[in-house]
Amino acid sequence: MTSAAQRQQRIIDEAEAAGWIEDGMTIAVGDPAPMAVLRQLIRRGVTGLTVIGSGLALDLLIAAGCVERTMAYYVGGGFGGAVAPSFRRAAESGQIEVWECEEGVLTAGLRAGAQGLPFLPWRGGVGTSLPEVNPDLQLIQDPVKGETLIAVPAIEPDVAILHAATADAYGNVRHHGGPGWLDLFLYRAADRTIVQVEQVVANTDVRADPWATTIAGVDAVVRAPYGAHPFYSRGYYVQDKSFTKAYVDAASRAAFDDDRSALAAWLERYCVEPESHGDYLERVGVKRLISLYEY
Amino acid sequence: MTIEPSDPPAPASPSAPSASLSATEPASRLEIMAAVLANELRDGEILQIGAAMPVPEVAVRLAQFTHGPNIELIFIGARMNAAHLHSLPTPEFGWDHRVVRWAESYSDTGHRFDRLKDWHRRVFFIGGVQVDRHGNTNLIGVGDDHSRLRFRGPGSVGTSTLSTHVGRYYIVLNAHTARTFVERCDYVSAFGWGDGDPEARRRLGLPGGGPKLCVTPLCVMDFTADTKHLRLRSVHPGVTVDDVQANTGFDLIVPDAVPTTPQPTDDELRIIRTRADQRGALRG
Repeated sequence: MTSAAQRQQRIIDEAEAAGWIEDGMTIAVGDPAPMAVLRQLIRRGVTGLTVIGSGLALDLLIAAGCVERTMAYYVGGGFGGAVAPSFRRAAESGQIEVWECEEGVLTAGLRAGAQGLPFLPWRGGVGTSLPEVNPDLQLIQDPVKGETLIAVPAIEPDVAILHAATADAYGNVRHHGGPGWLDLFLYRAADRTIVQVEQVVANTDVRADPWATTIAGVDAVVRAPYGAHPFYSRGYYVQDKSFTKAYVDAASRAAFDDDRSALAAWLERYCVEPESHGDYLERVGVKRLISLYEY
Repeated sequence: MTIEPSDPPAPASPSAPSASLSATEPASRLEIMAAVLANELRDGEILQIGAAMPVPEVAVRLAQFTHGPNIELIFIGARMNAAHLHSLPTPEFGWDHRVVRWAESYSDTGHRFDRLKDWHRRVFFIGGVQVDRHGNTNLIGVGDDHSRLRFRGPGSVGTSTLSTHVGRYYIVLNAHTARTFVERCDYVSAFGWGDGDPEARRRLGLPGGGPKLCVTPLCVMDFTADTKHLRLRSVHPGVTVDDVQANTGFDLIVPDAVPTTPQPTDDELRIIRTRADQRGALRG
């Protein structure tokens, strides 16, 4: 093969991937959580982000000061707390702006973004406070039946960051057991998509079963086994409960007891000091990782 | 009822205390709530449960074991049926994705809303930071200024959409306080009966049937037909009408006679403790 034309391989490392995200961008964070890339964002000290996300991964970005605005339908606490601590504190103090929404509403906006439409209508939320507390959500009369619906404006993230099972070097992604949560909707709506994977596979594997490809040709693939730790990765490992709880405890002390020392130490130890995903995994330790390796 | 020997072990940690097989201890209030809800459910219904709702989780399992072998449970996106199994573990924390091991199918967030047209056949359970007298609920938060709430709630999850479309739903709270039961919600994330007009949902074009009951650790409430106002239907054993009113931030409608909520039967309690709630989440 001497042809000059070379198909471009798309594997980059987590630090380079994080470099795609600039201060003030809108990013969409999938589930399972793409923690290897998110930790690099924290490490770089990215700020002013609008984040479409949920749960404790979003809470961690807020705790690290990366977030200016959230577009989240649920930021639950996970361990008895109804609300994730950093999100709660930052929203109550006005440090972040909350673009109030709901699962169906957010999905409608992402679909509109993906399809180049100015908005898509949605019924869930009619009669609620959502249009009052989020002026972007307008009540409209539909021209066909005259019904009252919510016009959800298009949502177009600059970058979607996802975590999946496998991909080949050309960005053909497979999710174990189907794409997670909103992942497909985030990918379709975003300008560019980075997918970190448990394993890079051969292109021949992809071609052996093209029907199993869930997203074709993403912009970048990041090699990241255990890349969703401390959260779960479908088909690979379960959430690291005690590790996650240690974060929630530290973040709660920062949020409600005005004592940031434990949170600062946690962020330093797990997000700032490890230069790479490999350094992070070494710090977490093989024994702990193996104990999570079940599905 | 067949017990499948191939059931995988429960994902609960091996150190979790095993529930006592005896049903001699009286039912806890949460167990009473679960039995009330289980008896509301009919065979063949499709139920949606979100994260952190242990009482409905147990209620659905109980109903599947007693009278609803064709009830389908959809926990977040995982569709499960316990009727032909010995037991089905309850989630240990928020979105404990290990329950997917027990699922027969799985649908993700966006896709779950792709087919809403038959959701009148579905039943849903909802919680809230606040609940008002007409069954409107709030997961957004408390405080006048939305940009600086006094208490920031977790967010609406999928409740605005679910409450709009499902055939009926149940408001289920883990605590009954005057802070939760308020005259008027600061924000409404799921429309119940609005200002109490029985036609309110129809006029807004909401196809679902609205909230049917509100079940708390103190009592069971339903809604009056003409004003859709919360009305005391029964108080749990050991609870008085005054207890309920004192912990409710508005005047409840109280009928002349308020019965005591029926206790779970011995059979129900045994099934709860040995099969529906093996982890003892409702034992307190």
